[in-house]
Parts: sequence; structure tokens; C-alpha cells
Amino acid sequence: MKPMLSNEIAMSDAIALAPKTTKIEVKDLNFYYGESKALKNISLSLPARSVTAFIGPSGCGKSTLLRVFNRIYELYPKQRADGQVLLDGKNILDRSQDLNLLRTKIGMVFQKPTPFPMSIYENIAFGIRLYEKLSKSEMDVRVEQALHRAALWNEVKDKLDASGLSLSGGQQQRLCIARTVAVKPEVILLDEPASALDPLSTAKIEELIDELQVDYTIVIVTHNMQQAARVSSQTAFMYLGELIEYDKTEKMFTSPGEKRTQDYITGRFG
Amino acid sequence: MSNASSLHARRKARNSVMMTLCMAAAGIGLAWLALILGALLWKGVAGLSLSVFTEMTPPPGDAGGLLNAIAGSIAMTLIGIIVGTPIGILAGTYMAEYGRFSKLTVVVRFINDILLSAPSIIVGLFVYELLVRPMGHFSAIAGSFALAILVIPVVVRTTEDMLTLVPNSLREAGAAIGAPRWIVIRSVAYRAALSGIVTGILLAIARISGETAPLLFTALNNQFWSSNLNAPMASLPVTIFQFALSPYEEWQQLAWTGALIITLTVLALSIIARSLTGRRT
Repeated sequence: MKPMLSNEIAMSDAIALAPKTTKIEVKDLNFYYGESKALKNISLSLPARSVTAFIGPSGCGKSTLLRVFNRIYELYPKQRADGQVLLDGKNILDRSQDLNLLRTKIGMVFQKPTPFPMSIYENIAFGIRLYEKLSKSEMDVRVEQALHRAALWNEVKDKLDASGLSLSGGQQQRLCIARTVAVKPEVILLDEPASALDPLSTAKIEELIDELQVDYTIVIVTHNMQQAARVSSQTAFMYLGELIEYDKTEKMFTSPGEKRTQDYITGRFG
Repeated sequence: MSNASSLHARRKARNSVMMTLCMAAAGIGLAWLALILGALLWKGVAGLSLSVFTEMTPPPGDAGGLLNAIAGSIAMTLIGIIVGTPIGILAGTYMAEYGRFSKLTVVVRFINDILLSAPSIIVGLFVYELLVRPMGHFSAIAGSFALAILVIPVVVRTTEDMLTLVPNSLREAGAAIGAPRWIVIRSVAYRAALSGIVTGILLAIARISGETAPLLFTALNNQFWSSNLNAPMASLPVTIFQFALSPYEEWQQLAWTGALIITLTVLALSIIARSLTGRRT
């Protein structure tokens, strides 16, 4: 049984009507960098197979929140989270949660493209090989599928053996998306995936996000409010480590309930 | 106006004085290097012939070559590298990857820096006490061991530095697709730092191939061909040391030629190392 959405977050009617189940539910989440508290009592739920955007000024905690979902913060000492993050009802902050398995279910794409120092083909195959034993031909199919999925296949099909680093920034970012999709995650976390890219590459990434939400639950952190408005169904506005407002994107950008949200969206601060 | 222009003129004058001093200092530094290399080439090339590479070191007053010394140097350098490199790479990996935030790393780095700048004769004496005395005789094993100890700090240092240069975003990306840490290190971090780590190994070879002091107390020398690691073994640096101090002209000539061979080898290694690092950036 999935926990029912409580009334603290008013989901707008359209979302409530859509037959979408909760994929991730955050309950009373606090996060600490050493002594300083970066997230304060965050609670929200993210519906499956749709795009949720986190917006807010620098340092508001939106990336921190994203980094809790795959516990990538555990690579560093003195960072810790308390509270609950339920993925399909199971608390991923639990000690018994295997981190590597969690990260195969919840993929992540970073701000700067991070292709591995290996060929385009190997960049994709690397992740698949970690958990699946495939024959060469099966692997070829998977790699091609992933590159198709990331709308990169046509550009790289003749140079799969070239270094991933030889691609342009926008192509590298799509390679990273392909690599993430290749391991068949359920959730994809995007941490400002287009902020280092030119407008054309950005448009391609946004198009891609739109296509991917059919199969994946997507969470995107962005500084670009137009981008949030364009790609997401839900938007969460954060400020100083607190979740100020969370609602359907359309409502957030037309008639936000909070003055601070409105001030931020209209560019009065942040 | 005139004030400003006189200020400008003063600065220009001071600038050219300082510039001249800097260039003179650089010139003096380079001049000595040029003199050394010039003398080495001049005297060394004269003795360079095929027999240097095919004949054994001669007895005093005879003609001969450096074959046993060259072979001994290669053998001991190789063993030193084979023993020292894995230890150095593993230690450097610990420091840059697993123990980046631990106190142990700070301590190891400090001690490693001391080891890096420790006079090599001390390493020779250490191995003498540790191996030569208990064994009762000098040996190539002891020589190789002393060289391995010199290899370790160089490789630790470059491995740690090069792995630290690998951006964390790459490690995060590896972890983010579910790769365990050791796979991220092996398949991502090592690959990204490969040319730097190889450079470190080449620099370590360059360093130990010219070392004399640690071999004097350990491998000693051998006038004849020896492939027995449990016996004294000839090496180029020690042979040069012995021959250069001798009153015999043939020996002195071989010492010059041997010095030239070492210098050219080290030069070649440095050039390779440099081109590897150059390609990375």
C-alpha cells in the first residue's frame, strides 16, 4: 500500500485526476553539511512518470535535495540526512539499502557533461556490464537503444569507437543521458543538465526530457525558470533550505500561493 | 603631466634592470648545464663504439666495454620498478581515493615527502643493515631493494597528485550508474589519470637509473658478467664511480661513455614523460 498524500501539499485537480501514483515520497527530510543544516523538514511527493522541477536561488538546497534521492552525498564525509525518502514505499535512507542497487534504480545526470574517458560505445556498455551479462550482439542492441533514446544515435553511429570526450558539450550531455537510461532506471535525476550548454543543445535536451517522461519519473533542478515552466508538470520552489511552495507548474507560474514564490518567479529576488 | 611621465620612465628603467638581471640568472644557470652536457658529449662520444655494448668491463689497462654494467643496471632498475611501482600506486590510490579525508593520509603524505627528499645514501645504508649484513654478502637483490625504496615515494606522489586531479564529478558519475567504488577507481579514475601515472613511473626510472650511493652498499660491483641475483652485480653508476676515480685512461674513457649513456637514457625518459603529460592537457 502506498501512503496516502496528506493534505499539507495541495495537488491541483489536473494532477489529482491523472492516474499517477506516487514514485518518491519525502517525509520530514533534514540534511546537514557538518553542522550546518541545508534542508529543513522537507516533505513532498513526486508522481511517477512525470517531470518535477526544483527551482530557487543558489544555495536554496534544491541540488542537495536531488542528491539525497540517490544518496550520492555519501561519497563525502560529514554529510548526512535524516527523515524518510520513500521510493515505492520503501525508505531509501535506511542503512540496509544497498547504495549501488539504489543508483541503478535512480540515475543521475550532472550539470557538466561527464563522459568517462573511454569510447562512446564503452561509455554506455560500462554501466550495463555492471549488472548484466550480455553477449556482444545483445550489448550492441542495448547500446544502440540507449543512444536512440537519447537522440544521439544518428550523430555517433559511425564513430562508436571514438572517445566520448571527442563529442561536443551537448552531445556529451546526451551521451550521459544515454548512459543513465541504458541501465534501465526508474527515476532520472537531472542536476541543471542544460546550464553548461548552448540554446540549441538545451532545446534538444528539453525535447528529450519530454519524451523520457513517458517511461521515467524525472526530477530536474534548474536555474532557468522558463525551462522549469516548459518541461515540468510540477514545480517546487525552495528557499534557504525550505520548501516554500509545491504545486502544478501551471499554477506556480501563473498564480502562486506564496508571495516569495511570486517574487522569485517575477525576478524580484534570487 | 611631467610628474606622471617621469614616474613612467622610472618604472620602465627599473623594469629593464630587473629583466636584465633575470635573464642573466637564467643564462648562468643554463650555461653550467650546457657546459656539463658539452663536456659529456665531447668526452663520451669519443669512446662510443659497438664494443661498449658487447664487451665486459676490462681489467686495468685493457680495452673493453660496459655490457655487464649496462645489463646489471637494467636488471636492478627493472626489479626495483616492478617491486616499488605497485606499492607506490596502491599507496597513492589509498591517499587520493579511499583515505582522502583521513588523518592517516596526512601522515603518510608527510613521511612520503621526507622519503622523497631523503639522501639516497641513507637508503643504501638502511638496506645494508637490513639485507646485506644478515645475508653476509652484497647482492643484486639488495641493490634492487634499495632502488625499489627510492621508487616508492616518487610513484606515491605522482599517483596521488594525478588521481586528485581527476574531477570528482567523474567519480560521482561513476557512482551514479551504480558502479562500486573499486570499479570507479579501476575503470574511470585510473583511466583518466593513466598518462600521469605512467609519467610518474618513467620519472622514477629516470631517478634510480643514475643512483650510485644506494648501490655502493648493496649490489657493490662486479667486473664480470653475472646473472645471479644473490651475488654482487655491476651497474653503470657504480662502474662510472670506480672507473672515473681510477688512474687508468681506458677506465676513465669508459666512465665518460657510461655517463653519456645514462644521461641520454634519462633525457629520453624525460622527453617521453613530458610528451605524455603534454598530451593529457
